[in-house]
Amino acid sequence: MDELELLKKDWKKQEVNLPHYKATELYPMLLKKSSSIVKWIFIISVIELGLGVVLNVFTMDEKFWRDLENLHLKTAIIILYGVSYLITFVFIYYFYKNFKSISATDSASQLMRNILKTRKVVKYYILYILISAGITSLLVFIFVFMYPPAELHVNPDKINWYKVVALGVIITSIILLVIWGIYSLLYGILLKKLKQNYRELKKLEL
Amino acid sequence: MTKELEHNFVELLEKHQNIVHKICRLYTNNQDAHNDLFQEITIQLWKAYPKFRGESKFSTWMYRVALNTAITLYRKSKRSIKTQDFDSVLFRIKAEEYDDTTEKQLSVMYAALHELNDIDKALVFLYLEDKNYNEISDTLGISEVNARVKMNRIKKKLRSILNP
Repeated sequence: MDELELLKKDWKKQEVNLPHYKATELYPMLLKKSSSIVKWIFIISVIELGLGVVLNVFTMDEKFWRDLENLHLKTAIIILYGVSYLITFVFIYYFYKNFKSISATDSASQLMRNILKTRKVVKYYILYILISAGITSLLVFIFVFMYPPAELHVNPDKINWYKVVALGVIITSIILLVIWGIYSLLYGILLKKLKQNYRELKKLEL
Repeated sequence: MTKELEHNFVELLEKHQNIVHKICRLYTNNQDAHNDLFQEITIQLWKAYPKFRGESKFSTWMYRVALNTAITLYRKSKRSIKTQDFDSVLFRIKAEEYDDTTEKQLSVMYAALHELNDIDKALVFLYLEDKNYNEISDTLGISEVNARVKMNRIKKKLRSILNP
């Protein structure tokens, strides 16, 4: 006899051994809150999408604008912020669109694909935030040397610009890489099981 | 309307709950985790129920949502880690008609079943539930041919475990 056929026969017999909930026990279960991964992904993603906006609002005090004016960067930063809000809006739109497409009634592979697609939007958003923060920091760094405040005692004419730009790029890259590394690690832990199962499913398609 | 929907749903769930229990037993290792997963599957079924059009049988629809929850949506609660894991082999009741050799074979197979990865478990589960390859491929979102090939590999693996 085929091994699995034997198992199948026994499998059916095991049904009598299963627990059984009465209707009165099932009703309260409908009221409980879900703790599914999709719910967590939604909460974390909304926090992440809102993070850029919140950070902008908190850093934009009067001193910030005064400093920017001294560095001749006010107009550039206003334009950058405008573009950034527009891009954030596009990310939020795609996040929402993908999130709405997640349905437990899809096939297993479609469901996983939709969840990963939704998370990917947020991942790219964070990448975009980091890159734009990097470019802005670099810009500010260079402009500080171009229009140095009096307390810095720096003469812009005597500066080795190659060194300044190289230093700026290196420092910014290291900081961004560390942040990206930590982020990817946390993101990896959250989606470890999902990615593993998705890989297993994809393996079947080879 | 909502009351009626709730009533219909609970009635169907009560009738078909064995499907959910079997999935819970396959994907968890102790009673707490079993209850936890049952709870989450119930929530997911209830959330999806308003969109259930009755085009497929309730049980077919249930297999899909319940398996999706076990494989993808369910996050293991911390509570389930603290409790003692049960032995899946001891959990089954012995059938009198089997001789010792068959009993031993079955024990080994149940243990092997628990060792499979989440996807393979789903595949075997649907097979044990007498689903045809068309339904299996539809539920998992893979092609019928691939489902067959994989199933044959699992059979081979089980055979080699039983006859080393």
